Amino acid sequence: MNSASALGDLRSDPDRTPGPRSGPLQGITVTDFCWMGVGSLATRLLADFGARVIRIEDRKRLDMPRRLPFYKGAGLRSYGEELVDPDPNLGGCFNNYNRNKLGVTLNMSAPEGRALAERLISISSVLTENFAPGVMEKWGLTESHVRELRPDIIYARMSGFGHSGPYADYRSWGPVVQAICGLSGISGLPEREPSGWGLSYMDNQAAYYNSVGVLAAIFARNRGAGGCDLDVSAIEAGIELLGPALLDAGVNGRSTRRPDFPSGNRLDHPAAAPHGVYPSTGIDRWVAIAVFGDAEWTRFVAALGHPDWAEDPEFATEQARFDHQDRLDAYISEWTRTRTGHEAMETLQAAGVRAAAVQTAEDINETDPQIAFRGTFFELDHPVIGEARFEGVPFQASTFEPDNWRSGPLLGEDVGYVFGELLGLSESEIKDLAEREVL
Amino acid sequence: MGVSRPSGAPLTPGQAPYTGVRVVELADDPAGEMLGLQLANLGADVVKLEPPGGSSSRQAGPFVDDVADPDRSLAYWYYNIGKRSVALDYAELSAGAAFEALLDDADILVSSLHPLQLAELGIDFDALAHAHPELIVVSITPFGLTGPWATRLSSDLVGLAASGLLVMCGYDDHAIPPIRPGGNQAFHTAASFAHQGAVLALIERQRTGRGALIDVSMHEAAAMTVELANMYWFYPRVLVQRQTCRHAQPVPTQPALFECADGRYIYFVLILADPKPWRALVEWLDSAGMATDLTDDGYNDLEFRQANFAHVQELLEVFFLTRTADAAFHDGQARSLPIGILNAAEDLYQDEHLAQREFFENIDQPGFGDVRYPSPPWRMSTRRGGSRAPAPKLGEHTEQVLGKVADVR
Repeated sequence: MNSASALGDLRSDPDRTPGPRSGPLQGITVTDFCWMGVGSLATRLLADFGARVIRIEDRKRLDMPRRLPFYKGAGLRSYGEELVDPDPNLGGCFNNYNRNKLGVTLNMSAPEGRALAERLISISSVLTENFAPGVMEKWGLTESHVRELRPDIIYARMSGFGHSGPYADYRSWGPVVQAICGLSGISGLPEREPSGWGLSYMDNQAAYYNSVGVLAAIFARNRGAGGCDLDVSAIEAGIELLGPALLDAGVNGRSTRRPDFPSGNRLDHPAAAPHGVYPSTGIDRWVAIAVFGDAEWTRFVAALGHPDWAEDPEFATEQARFDHQDRLDAYISEWTRTRTGHEAMETLQAAGVRAAAVQTAEDINETDPQIAFRGTFFELDHPVIGEARFEGVPFQASTFEPDNWRSGPLLGEDVGYVFGELLGLSESEIKDLAEREVL
Repeated sequence: MGVSRPSGAPLTPGQAPYTGVRVVELADDPAGEMLGLQLANLGADVVKLEPPGGSSSRQAGPFVDDVADPDRSLAYWYYNIGKRSVALDYAELSAGAAFEALLDDADILVSSLHPLQLAELGIDFDALAHAHPELIVVSITPFGLTGPWATRLSSDLVGLAASGLLVMCGYDDHAIPPIRPGGNQAFHTAASFAHQGAVLALIERQRTGRGALIDVSMHEAAAMTVELANMYWFYPRVLVQRQTCRHAQPVPTQPALFECADGRYIYFVLILADPKPWRALVEWLDSAGMATDLTDDGYNDLEFRQANFAHVQELLEVFFLTRTADAAFHDGQARSLPIGILNAAEDLYQDEHLAQREFFENIDQPGFGDVRYPSPPWRMSTRRGGSRAPAPKLGEHTEQVLGKVADVR
C-alpha cells in the first residue's frame, strides 16, 4: 500500500480522527517503538487510560502481530502458518494489542526518518522500546542523547535479559523467557518432562510489569523526581513470579529437579486434598476442585450426597486425605464423570466448595455470566476487519475508566495528524516524505 | 491532595517512587500479599494487618528445615519482606478505632479479603471511600465485587480453570488432564493488574485529589492473560488444544522441548518461514558433522522445509542429545537462535548473567542469617537500591504502629 494514497483516503473518516483523551494519563505523549505482543501490550495500557501513544512502525519490517493469521474465517491454522503476502491491516492480533494508539510509519535507516523521530521524542514525555539491546543506539538514541532531546523523559527499555550482563544480547521470546526464569520447570507431573506453559505467559506478564514501571516513573516524576531510564528484564520479572519454590531451593537447598516435583495439580503447601482436575462428560472436558481443611471437606462430602467411601478412615483428616490422594481422586472422578464440568461446578459452589469447570475461550466469551456481567470484553469497528472483539481491563475503577476511542491503527494511518498537526509539517512535505519512502 | 501527606512530598534524588506512600494491607492470599510486596519494593511503607494467629501464608510452608512455625514459613517470607506486621483481631476492624486511624493516614488499602468475609467483618468499601475521600482502596477478589459469581469461592487452580488459561496447559496426551502451571499464577496475574490499577489511581489522585476504589477480579485478570486463545476465538472462532510445553494451537505442532546429553532440557522452536535462523541452524549442525542432507539445495525452499519438518525435528533430537543443555543454550544463542535452557529454581542462584546484574539480594533474617531474594524487576536510573527489611515476625510492629496511632488520637 502506498502511504500517500492511504493518507488521502483516511482523512475522510471523522470517527477515527484523534481528539483529546480522557483518563489518568491524559496529557502524556509516548513515542512508542514497542512491537511484537509483549511490547504492544505494555503500551496498550497507557493508551487505554488516556496517554497519546504514537506507535512507530517500519514498512519494511512489519510487526509480527500484523502478519499472524488471525483472520475471520481463517479456520484451523497455527500462528506459524502465515500467508505469503499478508494484508497488514487485516491482522486481528495487531488490532487487539494496538487499540487506542496512533500509528505512523518511519524509515529509521534514513537520516530524515531519524530526525523526525527525534522531533517526536522532543514533544513526548515517555519513550518506549523493546528491541534487542543496541538497536536504539544504532539510531543514535542513546540514553544521554534522548535526555538532551527531552530532559524529563522516561526512557523505558523492555527486553528479555535486560540491558547489561553477559547475556544481554541473547534472543528471547515468551517461551524462552519462561524456560530460563524457571517457570516452565516448576510445571508438570512428577517424573515426566515439564508440561510448562501453553502460551507466552511471560509476554503478558512482562508487559504488565513494564506498564507498571512506566506508571511508577510517571508518579515519581509528578513528585519532582525528573525523568529516568528504566531497564526491565522479562526474565527477572519471571523469577519474581516463581514464588516460594525459589526460597525452598535457596534456603532449604531442596532441588526442584527431585523426582516428586512438580506435583502436577496437587498442592503441597499447604497440603490440601482433594486438589485436582477431574474428568467430566464430553471430550476432553474437566472440572477443577480444591478442598482446604475439614470444614470444606464436610461441605464437599455433603454436596456429593454423603457417599460411603467418604467415611473411610483414610479420608478422615486432611493429612490422611493428602496421603491417599490416588484413591480419593478415583472416587471423585466417578462422581465428576457423570456430569458436565459446569454442572459439577454449580453443585459444588452452591455447597460452598471451590470448584470451576475448566473453561475454554468459547465458554469465557459466549456463556460465562460473570464475564458478561462485568463487561470485560468489548467491541470496536475497524475499517478493514469490521466489528471486532477486544480483551478489556480486568479491574474497575470508581473514578476513571478506559477511553476506548478507536480500534488499532491502519499502517501509517496517523501520519497526517502526527507529522502535520503535532510537528507542523505541511501536507506537501508529508506527501514528499512518503514518496521518498521516509515514512 | 494536601502536600502534608508524605506521599505528596517532593522526591529527592535516589528515592524510590513510592517513598512516603503508606499502605495498609489486609491480605490472606498470594494476590494481595504480592501487591503489598511490590509496593514495598518500590518504596512504600506497608503495614500488614494479621489476625492474631497470623496470615495463612505463615501456616502454608514450605518451612525452614521443614519445621512448621509461623515465623519459619518461606511462603510468608517470600511475599512479606519489607513490610511491618501488626497483629489485630479482624473482628475489630470495622468497630475499632485503630483501623480507622490507620486509614486516616493511609494512601492505599490493599485488600484481598473475600466478599463474604468483608460482609461478615462489616467492611464496606463504599463507606470507607466516603469517610476517607483521598484513600485508594485496591480490592482483589476471586471474581470481582459485583456480578453473579461475586461470592463464589476460588483458589489458584480453580481460578486458572475458570479463566480459560488452564485448558491451554498440559501434555500432548489428552488422557492427562490440563496441568496447572506452577507458582500461584492466577494470584500473581491479579496482583499485576492490581498494581497497574493502584498506580493509575495514585496518578489520578495527583490530578484530582480524589481517591478511588479499584475492584480487581482474579477471574478476569487470568481470562485476559491467555495470550492467543481469545484472539483465536475472536477471529477464526477456533479453540486451541494443549501441547506439551509449547503453545496451545488449533492444530498439532512439532515438539519444542529437547532432551540433552545431561538429561536436562532446552526449549527451541524453529520458525521455518524465516531463512536466517534456518541457515544458522544448518551451519551449527554442519559444524558438528550432523547436518546430513539439510545442506542440500532443496531446503532453501520454504515449502520443502515444511514438507520435511518431521525429518528436521528428528535430526535435532539426535543433535541435542550429543551436547549438554548449557552448551546447547550458549552455542545456539551465539548463533542468534532463540534457544532457552530449562532452568530449575536452584540454577538461578548460580547464573552468571544474574550475578553480574546483582539480581539476588541478601537480606538478613534475624536468627536465620542471609537469605537471597530476587531484587525488584524495575531498575530505575534515578533510584539507588535500598536494603529491604526482613520478613516481620507475627505482630512485630503492633506496638510501634498501634501505639503511635493511639498517641496521635
